[in-house]
Formats: sequence, structure tokens, C-alpha cells
Amino acid sequence: MVNYSKRLPFILATLLSVLSPLSIAGSPIIEIEIRNHLFFPDVITIPADTKIKLMIYNRDNSSEEFESYELNREKIIPGKSRAVIFIGPLPAGEYPFFGEFFPKTAQGKVVVK
Amino acid sequence: MLLNAVILTLREVIEASLIVSLFLAFCQLSGQPKKTILAALFLGLLSAILYAFNISAISQWQNGIGQEIVNASICFLVYLFLLIFLATFIKSDPKSSKQLQSLAMVVGITLATTQEGAEIILYLLGFTFSPELFRPVLFGSLIGAGIGLSFGIFIYYLLINVSKKSSLRIGFIMILLIAGSMIMQAIQLLTQIDWISSQYPLWDSSAFINERSLTGQLLYALIGYEATPTPIQVISYVVSLMLILALSAYLYFRDQRQPNA
Repeated sequence: MVNYSKRLPFILATLLSVLSPLSIAGSPIIEIEIRNHLFFPDVITIPADTKIKLMIYNRDNSSEEFESYELNREKIIPGKSRAVIFIGPLPAGEYPFFGEFFPKTAQGKVVVK
Repeated sequence: MLLNAVILTLREVIEASLIVSLFLAFCQLSGQPKKTILAALFLGLLSAILYAFNISAISQWQNGIGQEIVNASICFLVYLFLLIFLATFIKSDPKSSKQLQSLAMVVGITLATTQEGAEIILYLLGFTFSPELFRPVLFGSLIGAGIGLSFGIFIYYLLINVSKKSSLRIGFIMILLIAGSMIMQAIQLLTQIDWISSQYPLWDSSAFINERSLTGQLLYALIGYEATPTPIQVISYVVSLMLILALSAYLYFRDQRQPNA
């Protein structure tokens, strides 16, 4: 007979990882800045299958809207403030994002490797 | 800059305009006063201004996820009130259901306008920092708003000019799909703040209809089209539609059995 009590920690660990929003283990953080309606850096590289916490600092006075159809993300970042957006886990590929309020200049992409 | 202003404003206005036109057509067909709809629009505009001017405080709330919490709550509430509206849609006679319908329409429009309106206001406010661009942007926004309103007017006249039966049917389906798209949006917002686990998309139809394209944008406004939806989004969308259909069907058949209930 299988001894379930020995396996319990693993079962719990699996459960916890499934309920990832509840787990406290932090995701890697990547910081992006918006200055003069440009993203710095405008290309970020992240590993595949990993959840990432994006910290976006809007240094401009005007609001910007972080938007990406490929990442399914959309968030207004008021001027002179910071926003948090989680992305991933994602399969390898390129995921463009842009600032919807200043789309001509505010362009960038997430490269997943 | 001007073209971008047209597109951005159009995207926001078209969604609100669609709900408003559907409700206005419903009022016209069922003989309910349209004043309440206009009052709701005014209320929505006021709360959009309030929202826009407090966006910094709202955004920083709960360590930077306040915006998603507020917006997802708005989406869930709009869904709830559209559900109430649709569930009482078929039994048009009793006074109580009329009052419920008015309430649902007012809350639905107020909340929808708040979200869409705030975004336009924030966009325009950004250009007060670069005054030379403010005029073209404002002009572009007005054009966008004009196109969005025309679309709503078109839908309105389309609905009141076909037979009452088919217009009620079309209206029901359109509001049903808007309700489903609210749930899709709410799920996306909660995934963005990691309250719901992110998943790989169930499919990718962006090669077929891209979300950036005009068709994609229009479908987004009409049915909440998403090129790469996650399994949770698809399941919630379907369940949210089934829930409304089941409730409407239940109330309909219950009323048919007791005509005077």
C-alpha cells in the first residue's frame, strides 16, 4: 500500500503551486520606466513558463495606458506613479506592448526565451 | 496624434453607446420613459470625472492593484444588473419588474460610462502638459465620439424599425453578449493582478481576426472578442451566458404557468 502520509508534503506543494495566487513566494520583478512617452528598456527578455511581476514607473506628468493585445494586458498608469502588472507564464515568443495614449513613441516588446 | 485620438475615443464611446442605444430602443418599444437613461448618462459622466481625478489614489490602493479591483467590480456589477434586466425582460407587465428594469438600466449605464469616460478624460488631461497638441487631440476625440454616437444611433433606429418581436430578440442577444464580455474583462483584470492564475491561451485566432483590426475592435465591443482567451475566460464566458439564459427561461415558463403571478 502506498504511504500517503509521506507524500503529503508533495501533494500540498502541488496544491499550493496550483493555487499560485495564494502562494507568497515572489515572482521575479522587472522594472520599466516611462520617460517622455518612451519605454526604458523597450525590450525585456524573460524566461519561458515563468510568472513575472512588471513594475512600471511613469515618470511623465501625463497618464499612460500600458496595453498589449498579445499579453492580454491593459492598465492606466497615472503620471508620476508606479503600477504593478503580472505577466506569464508564457510560451517562447515575442509579445509587443505599447502605450495607448502615445502609441507612436511608446512601443516595446517582451521577448520570452 | 489626431488619428490616435479618434481611435482611442471611438473605442471607448462605442461600447457605452451600444448599451445606451439598446436600452433606449427597449424604452421606446416597451413605452418606458427615456428620461432615466439620460439621467444615468449624466450620472455616469459625473462619476467618470470623479474616477479620473482620483485615479492616482485608486491605483495605489492595495499596493498598486486598486484600479483592477475597482474595474473588475464594475464589470461584475454591470453583469449582475444586465442579468436582472434580461431575467425580467420577457415578463413586461408587472410593475415590480418595470421598476427593476429601470434600476438595472440606470446602474448599468452609469457604471459603463464611468469606466469608459474616465479613460477618455485621463487621456485628454495628459495633453494639458503639451498645450500645442491639446487642440488637435480634442478635435480628434470629438470626431471619435461623433462616430461612436452615430453607431449607437444607427443601432437604435435599426432596432425600432424592425418588427417588435425581432427587435426584442436582437436586443436580448446583444445585451446577453455584452454581459458575457463583462465577465471576460473581469477575469482578465484579476489575472493581471495575479488573483487568478494565468494560463496558456486555449486558442489563438489572431491570424484569423486580429484584435488590432477594425473587425477585431468592433467584435470586442459587441461580444467581447478575444483572440487568445484563456480556458478560465472561455469557461466563465459560457457559464455567465448560460446562467442568464437559464434564469430567463425559468422565469418565463413560471410566468406562463401562472399568467397573473
